[in-house]
Amino acid sequence: MGFWDYVGSYREKLLFDAYQHASAVLQCVVVATVAGVAIGVVTYRREWAAGLATTTTSALLTVPSLAMIGLLIPVVGLGVAPTVIALTLYGLLPVVRNAIVGLRGVDPALVDAAKGIGMSRARRLLRVELPLAWPPILTGVRVATQLLMGIAAIAAYASGPGLGNEIFRGIASLGSANALNQVLAGTLGIVVLALLFDAAYVLLGRLTIPRGIRG
Amino acid sequence: MSAPPDAAADAASTAAGAPDASGLARSSGPAAGGSGHPAGAPGEGPPPYGARPSRISTRKLTVLPSLLVVVLLGTWLWFRQAELDAISANALANGQVWLALRQHIALTALSTFFVLLIAVPLGVLLTRRRFRAATPFVRAVANAGQATPAIGLLALLVIWLGIGRTAALIGMIAYAVLPVLSNTMAGLRANDPTLLEAARGIGMSPAEVLVRVELPLAVPLILAGVRTALVLNVGTATLAAFGGGGGLGVLITTGITNQRMPVLVLGSVLTVALALLVDWLASLAEVLLRPRGLQEGP
Repeated sequence: MGFWDYVGSYREKLLFDAYQHASAVLQCVVVATVAGVAIGVVTYRREWAAGLATTTTSALLTVPSLAMIGLLIPVVGLGVAPTVIALTLYGLLPVVRNAIVGLRGVDPALVDAAKGIGMSRARRLLRVELPLAWPPILTGVRVATQLLMGIAAIAAYASGPGLGNEIFRGIASLGSANALNQVLAGTLGIVVLALLFDAAYVLLGRLTIPRGIRG
Repeated sequence: MSAPPDAAADAASTAAGAPDASGLARSSGPAAGGSGHPAGAPGEGPPPYGARPSRISTRKLTVLPSLLVVVLLGTWLWFRQAELDAISANALANGQVWLALRQHIALTALSTFFVLLIAVPLGVLLTRRRFRAATPFVRAVANAGQATPAIGLLALLVIWLGIGRTAALIGMIAYAVLPVLSNTMAGLRANDPTLLEAARGIGMSPAEVLVRVELPLAVPLILAGVRTALVLNVGTATLAAFGGGGGLGVLITTGITNQRMPVLVLGSVLTVALALLVDWLASLAEVLLRPRGLQEGP
């Protein structure tokens, strides 16, 4: 069976896996972004706290994903739970780091000016600092998404959802006629998803980055 | 929809940025919104001779190793009292744990060696004027490569080359070459052009400029690339188990498929400890091998 015949005859299953892959990654990225920006906001003004946040999250990223999933399985079992926890943790580092760097990069004179016209701390953060720090944060989110696409594939080994299942089915049936088709379908599917997400982020950047600071 | 030229420029900016953040380079890099300062830019001169303060704080030297000792000791103590059934005992008997650990280290070391052998010269070559035209092509390949999942790449290689260590090694090398390559290229490009101009002005040949000025200035970024490669390779080496390449991934996969938690936990703890140790050693090397004139801070 040729590759396209394979894709044709298993279209529904592949689409379902792709949908689950994208949805798992997207949800975890959203959670990681919210949590990561929150960590950034809390820590960026204190040297030691920001250092601690970056060191902890980068140590997390040093941990190989299969080992992370391996350590989560005894605690939360197989399936969706270890996948979601691992993906969210791995998504944190790029977001936290870029949030801290972005918030620190805001010109203090602007913050001072905002204070001068009577903005409260919360309003300064929401109206001035976060919008100015948004481009690097968005870059972090993009990096996190690419990272999670690959890690989600590995999570399929712990009975997680998504296109990784295609790849592992192929590995399990090495030598059979469909092994190559399965692995290829899973791998290319993830590449396509990653590129689609990337395009979506370019668009999102156009829509959300304030006009005044667009490069 | 998005205009092609802009999209290309944007993709290009992340090609340099993405490996930096995802590859956990510690310096604030291009991904951090352009706050990365080019190597060699700071105006302060080298520290006075004679006064050579220690470059590494004791905290950096002690915290991680002691943490690792505690974790490994804890695992060992837990194992001594744990009751292993036949399947678990079988999976761990006859020095298989040591074998897996040795295989893992060998895979990591070998692949890192080849990654550096390929990526650094290629980075030098691609930043020469003659090959500038090839840069967009390399960027495109790097972007597509970044989107490819490691496990998929490895599985394809296993189908192509057969089960064994070769397929795993090639997959690991292919996967880590891209981040190191773009790190090297970014490092060489960030060099202050006036310095290169000055070097040419005092009569250095292009080869001399490269060896005596450009490469020393790019050392910090190249070292960051080495660290990235090492950490990535420790991680992808766990996937070698799926292609019959051995390594600590064998313990993890055996633990998952047989539902034996002791095997799974031991494999995972050892992998994590190895990854953190390798990263720590690489971070020490990063500080120690950096040219004195380029030291950060006081």
